[in-house]
Amino acid sequence: MSKKISTAYSDPAPVYVPVDADFRLKDNAGEIAIDTNFASQNFWKDVLVRFFRKGGAVFGLIMIVVITLFAIIGPGMNEYTYSGQELSQKNLAPRVPGLENLGIFDGSETMRTTTGSMKVNNYEDKGLTDTYYWFGSDNFGRDIWTRTWSGARVSLIIAVAAALIDMIIGMSYGLISGYFGGKTDMVMQRILEIANGVPRLVIVTLLLLVLKPGMLTIIFALMLTEWVGMSRIARAEMLKLKEQEFVLASRTLGAGSFFIIFREVLPNIIGPIITQVMFSIPTAIFTEAFLSFVGLGIPVPQCSLGSLISEGFNSFTTHPFQIIPPIIVMALLMLSFNLVADGLREALDPKMKEM
Amino acid sequence: MADYNEKILDIHDLDITFNTTAGPVHAIRGVDIDLMKGETVAIVGESGSGKSVTMKAAMGILASNAAVNKGTIEFTYHHADGTQETVDILEKDKKWIRRHINGKRIAMVFQDPMTSLDPTMTIGKQLIEGMVWHFKTPKKEAWEKAIQLLKEVGITDAEKRMKNYPHQLSGGMRQRVVIAIALACNPDLLICDEPTTALDVTIQAKIIELIKRVQKERGISVIYITHDLGVVAKVADYVNVMYAGKIVEKGKINEIFYDPRHPYTWGLLSAMPDLNTEDERLYTIPGSPPNLLREKTGDAFAPRNQFALEIDDKLEPPMFKITETHEAATWLLDPRAPKVEMPEELKARIERMKKEAEGYEES
Amino acid sequence: MKKYILKRLLTAFFTLLAIILILFILMQLMPGSPFNDEKLKESQKAALYAKYGLDQPIVVQFFRYVLNIFQGDFGVSYKISKNTPISQLIQTRLPVSVMVGGVAVVIGAIVGMLLGLLAALKHDTIWDTLATIISVIGVSVPSYVFALALSYTLGFQLQWFPMLFSTKDMMGSTVLPSVSLSMFTMASIARFTRSEMLEVLGSDYMLLAESKGISGGSLIFRHALRNALIPIITVLAPLIVDLMTGSLVVEKIFSIPGVGSLLVNAIQSNDYNVVISLSFIYSAMYILIMLVVDILYGVIDPRIRLAKKGE
Repeated sequence: MSKKISTAYSDPAPVYVPVDADFRLKDNAGEIAIDTNFASQNFWKDVLVRFFRKGGAVFGLIMIVVITLFAIIGPGMNEYTYSGQELSQKNLAPRVPGLENLGIFDGSETMRTTTGSMKVNNYEDKGLTDTYYWFGSDNFGRDIWTRTWSGARVSLIIAVAAALIDMIIGMSYGLISGYFGGKTDMVMQRILEIANGVPRLVIVTLLLLVLKPGMLTIIFALMLTEWVGMSRIARAEMLKLKEQEFVLASRTLGAGSFFIIFREVLPNIIGPIITQVMFSIPTAIFTEAFLSFVGLGIPVPQCSLGSLISEGFNSFTTHPFQIIPPIIVMALLMLSFNLVADGLREALDPKMKEM
Repeated sequence: MADYNEKILDIHDLDITFNTTAGPVHAIRGVDIDLMKGETVAIVGESGSGKSVTMKAAMGILASNAAVNKGTIEFTYHHADGTQETVDILEKDKKWIRRHINGKRIAMVFQDPMTSLDPTMTIGKQLIEGMVWHFKTPKKEAWEKAIQLLKEVGITDAEKRMKNYPHQLSGGMRQRVVIAIALACNPDLLICDEPTTALDVTIQAKIIELIKRVQKERGISVIYITHDLGVVAKVADYVNVMYAGKIVEKGKINEIFYDPRHPYTWGLLSAMPDLNTEDERLYTIPGSPPNLLREKTGDAFAPRNQFALEIDDKLEPPMFKITETHEAATWLLDPRAPKVEMPEELKARIERMKKEAEGYEES
Repeated sequence: MKKYILKRLLTAFFTLLAIILILFILMQLMPGSPFNDEKLKESQKAALYAKYGLDQPIVVQFFRYVLNIFQGDFGVSYKISKNTPISQLIQTRLPVSVMVGGVAVVIGAIVGMLLGLLAALKHDTIWDTLATIISVIGVSVPSYVFALALSYTLGFQLQWFPMLFSTKDMMGSTVLPSVSLSMFTMASIARFTRSEMLEVLGSDYMLLAESKGISGGSLIFRHALRNALIPIITVLAPLIVDLMTGSLVVEKIFSIPGVGSLLVNAIQSNDYNVVISLSFIYSAMYILIMLVVDILYGVIDPRIRLAKKGE
C-alpha cells in the first residue's frame, strides 16, 4: 500500500514535459474563493457511512430487524396459540419437518436417569406422527415457538416503550436543568442525586409491590429507573451548547426559553440521546426478565422472555430445550442492541486521532 | 562550544503515510531539513501541513499507523568520551531511540502545557524521572538538580513547587516546567512544537525569551514548529515554510521575510497581524489546507494560488535555487514563467519591516 | 477536601433519610402489613399499636421508625418465618451474600482490568478483537443466563462443581455463582479500562513521557495505568449495584442462603415487612459503597484532593 503511494508521486510516469504554453497565469480568481478542497458531506450521511462500516453494528441491526420481524409474524406461523394448552402433549422435544430426517430436531431427547441416559422420542411413544412443535412444548403442552415469539413481542414492547418514555422525561429534565442553571439547576441536581442514591432494584421491587403487576406497571417501573442517566447526558450537552453562537443569536432575537431548548438545542443533541436510548433498551429487557424471574412480571398466561426463562428454569435439567429458545433470543436481543448502540456512539463521535 | 559548522540533524527526502480508517493519508511528501549545531530553525505552516509529524518522526514517537515510505533522519551526537557518531533514527527501533535519543539528546516541548504534564504526578517526580531513568542519578542528587532547573527556567519557590501537582500551576508556569523537564538531561537538540500557542500573549514573549536564553547559555540547537511568523521573526536563523507535507520555501530569516518568492509565503506574510497596516482588513489565504486523503497532481497549493500557472495542475514544481541558502518550489521562478511581483500591500509592508529593523539595529 | 467529604456525607445522609421516608409511607399503605391485618384481635392490635407507637402523631411515628432502624430493629417477619426478628434473618444471610458478591467483584475487577489492558496495549490486533467480543457478550448476556449455563454444564453434566450451594463446601460451591455474577462486572470493567487506557495512551503527557525516553513497564505502570485507573473506581459503584440485582436470581438458581434469595422469597410470599427491611439494607449498602468510592476517588486524584477550598 505505502509503496504504491510513494512511487505514484515521486515517479510520475510518464513524466510530463512542460511546454511554453503551460507558463501562463491560470486566472483562477473566481475559483479560489470557493472552498473546494474539502468535500462537504452531510453529517448524518457521514454517520451512516461510519456506522455501516462496523461489522458488529450491522450484525446487531440485522438481528434486531430479524427478531422484531419474528416477534410480529412468528406467533402466527403455526396453528398453536401462546396460551393454548394440550396437556397430553406436554414436554415434547423440538421437531421440525424436513430437518427430522437428518437426525436433528426429530423430537427425541436424552433422558438422564439414575442408571444412565437413554434416548426417548415422545412423539413416537404417543403416536403423534403428524404433530410438530418446532421448539418443543412446555410443561402444559404449549408451543414454545409461539410462546417465544410472543414473549419477545412483549419484551420488546416493554423495553422500547420504557426507553422512549425515559428519553422524554430524562431529556426534558436534563435540558431544563442545564438551560436555566443557577438555583434551578442546583435544586434539580440535588433531587437527582437523591433519586440516584436509591438502588434501581429497590425502586422497581417496591413499586411492583404497591401496584398490580402487568405490562403498564412494568413500563412505569422501568421508566423510573433509567431517566437519571438520560438527564445527565442531556444536561451535559446543554451546558456545552448553550453558550454557543447560534443559541445566543436566537436569544438576542427574542426567542423564548422553550423555543431555544426544544427547537434550537434539541436537534443538535439528538445523536447522544439516541445512543443512550439504544443502551437503555437492553437494560430494560434485562430488568423485565429479572422481574419475571422473581415473580413480579407479566401475569400468566401472558408471557415475556423473562417469564419463559423462569418457567424453563424449573425443568431445565430434565428438559433443557425449553429454556434455550427464550434465553438465546434474549441474549441475542441484548447483544444486538448493545452492538448497535456501540456502533452508533462511535459513528457519531469518531475519535479519529490518527495523525 | 563545538564547531558550529557541524551538522546535527539532517532530514532527507522524508516520506510518511498514515493509514487511517478513511484511507491512506500522505502526510509528508519528501521533506529535507538541515540543522547546524547551535542554530535555530523554524518550520512554518498551517495546521495539518505536517510540521509536527516530521518532528515526531525525528523523536521516534510517530503514531503506530504511520508508515515511513522512504527517507533518512540522520542525527549526529557525541559520546561521553568525545567520539562522534551519526545514526539514522529511522533505522533504529523504538527501544534504542528511547534509551539513547529521547530526552537525553533530543528533547521536546509540546504545545499545550495544560495537557502535556501527567496530572497524577508531582512536578518534582516528573522532573527527576528522566535523570533517574537515563543516568541512574541518585534520587537526592536529581532532586537538587531539578530545583536548580526550575530556578533556571524562572520559577520562584522552586522547592515548594517540586511537590505541587500540575493543576496547581498556571499555564505559563507549566510551560516553564515542561521546558525544565526537556532540559533535565542536557539534550543537544530541543524541539519546540508550538510552544506558545496555548498561552496568553503576555506570557508568550516571556517563554520565547526563556527558550532563547537557555539556548544561548547551553549552546543547543532548537527547532521551532509554529504557524506564527511573529515568533519566527524573533527566534529563528533559518526558516522552512511547509505546505501539504512539503517544504515550499526555505532560506535564512532575512531572505524569507524580506525577499519571499513563493506565493504561499506571500500569503503567510500578508496574513500576519501588524499594528501599522493602514488597510484594516487582515489578509487571509483563500480556501483551506488540502485534504491529504486525495493526491493531487501538480502543485498542491495551486487551487488556492491566485498566481497559479497552467503548469501547476500538470507537474509539481521542483526547488528553484535563488541564492546559496534560499530555495523555493514554485513555477513562477522558472525562466519561462511570466514575471509576477508580490502584491503591492506586501511590498509596502516588507519595506516598513526593513526600516523598523534598521532603526532597531541603529538604536 | 474536607468540604468535598462533608458534601458527600450530607448527600448520603439525606438520601438515606428520603429512602426511609418512602419505606415508611409504603409501610402504611401495604395491604398485608402486620398493622392492618384483619385477623388480629383488637387487643393484639392495640399492643402492636402501642409497641410501634401507632397511636401517636405520624411525625413521632416516623422518628421512632428511623430510630428503630438505626438500632437494627426492623420488626418481625410475618410470613416466611413467623415472628422471627428480621435482623436475625439478615444476620445469618448477609455474610453469605457479601462473600459470594465480594468474590465476584474481585474476580470481575481483576480479570476485567487485565482484559481491558491487553486490548488497549494490543490495540487493533486479534487480542483487541477477542477482548472486545468477550466484553460485549459479558455486558449483553444477563448474569443468570451464565448461571444457568454454568450450572447445567459444569454443575449438572460434568459435575465439576456442586450445582447447589452448601455450607459444607463453601469454596467449591462459591465458584459457579461468583463466576456467573462476575461476568458483567468483568466485561464492563474491561470495556471501560480499554477506552480509558486508549485515551490515556493518546494523551499529550504520555507523548511527553515517551519523549523523555521512558518506555516499557515504567511508561505503562507509572504514567498510563495510574491515570486510567482513577476513573475506573467511579464505575465500580454502579457495577456493584448491578451485581446486587443479579445476585437475587443467581442466589435463587444456586439455592444460596443469602439476602438475595430471602428477598425473592419475601416478594413471592408477600412478606412486606421483610421486603421493606431488605430494601433499606440494599439502599444503605449502596449508599455506603457510593460514599466510599467518592471519597476514595477524592483521595487518589490529586485534582480533587488538592482542590481549592471554594470548590
